Amino acid sequence: MARPHIEPFVDRDVPFKKMTLPGFPKGMQYKMLSMDTDDGSCTMTVLFEPGYKQPPGMSYTEYELFIMTGSIKIGEKVWGPGSYVFVPAGVALEALSSPRGATGLIFYNYGEPSFVESQSDHPKAERHRLAMVNSYDDMQWSSTNFFPATAPGCLVKILKFDERTQGFTFLYCMTPNFWQDNISYHDCCEEAYHIWGTSWMMQFGDLPTGGYFWRPPYINHGAFASKLGILAIGRTDTQLYNHFHFNPWTNIEENRQRAASRMQHWKPDLYKWINTHGHNHPVDFEHDHGHAHGDMPHHHGDGHVEHKHAKKRRRKR
Amino acid sequence: MKFIAHKRSAAVEQWLRKEIAEQKKRYKKIVAEQDALSPKRDKWVAEFLHRIQTRGYHVHFNQMRKIAPEEIPSKPKRKFKVVF
Repeated sequence: MARPHIEPFVDRDVPFKKMTLPGFPKGMQYKMLSMDTDDGSCTMTVLFEPGYKQPPGMSYTEYELFIMTGSIKIGEKVWGPGSYVFVPAGVALEALSSPRGATGLIFYNYGEPSFVESQSDHPKAERHRLAMVNSYDDMQWSSTNFFPATAPGCLVKILKFDERTQGFTFLYCMTPNFWQDNISYHDCCEEAYHIWGTSWMMQFGDLPTGGYFWRPPYINHGAFASKLGILAIGRTDTQLYNHFHFNPWTNIEENRQRAASRMQHWKPDLYKWINTHGHNHPVDFEHDHGHAHGDMPHHHGDGHVEHKHAKKRRRKR
Repeated sequence: MKFIAHKRSAAVEQWLRKEIAEQKKRYKKIVAEQDALSPKRDKWVAEFLHRIQTRGYHVHFNQMRKIAPEEIPSKPKRKFKVVF
């Protein structure tokens, strides 16, 4: 994903703008938090004005919606603060309204925001992946279960987990007087938004309520602390591993080198295989080789990184 | 299926261009703000390096290790960047 490093950014410092994209009904406002300059995927704070009404319809990309204040109605069901909705690409969501208004966060994952009025799903839609939950009322906090793990006092609720990429969306909290004295970086992109509370990071200072970051891989962050605690929502695009260390001055290249060296020690056979086969082109027997279904652009070991196949033409008979 | 291919309209292309331009400005502002934070950051780093030698460094969860003085890295001559 080609989003720049946006950290820190506080959305309270900027006003809402009217959503003017074709297809979207009147009454939706937004603040852009970050955007992928290649595919238009983005994260926005959104405001549904009182009386907002959206007919049944679909998006060309999967998206996630999290309600922070107020409530929305989807079909006949009311969803209040803490509600999380995952809508796969092409799935026609029932009519959405907000009689009294609401604020939330919306994450368009693989393309620009789009809304197409429709009573029925797109033929390629995967409706079985549609998910809705009130994360405040119907889910409980758990430990992070990572190894190595964040310090005691950081708890999570997993909202979405992608089996293929291991990217996930999660609520997290820090208890009052949380502190963690190490520096971390990851192999994945990470983003987060503070629903409530202020935390501190040694590189960036305080991140208050409404604070946001989109952080590309291998960027140092931490040590961490929070005096009164926080509630936040976070996401990664692939597997999250905590590369902890205590050198404040390392850069992206050094951190990436260290991660690769670690892979060499942790998975020596796989590392050797990847480096010695000319056709550097791993295929997962459970998935299509091509680029449908969100598959990654891949390498052929010929210097053409991020290579993509053209679609095969069918022969006319 | 995470994305369904479609053709973008001119209005959508224009909206994207405008948002990307605004994001560039936002990024520059962040870099300037973070550069201005350098003196405070240097102090925070010095305090961190002291704490990990006295109270300890978080290795995993509640497991901590005190870092010996000879393990403490020295600051390189290059500019200390935090936004990339």
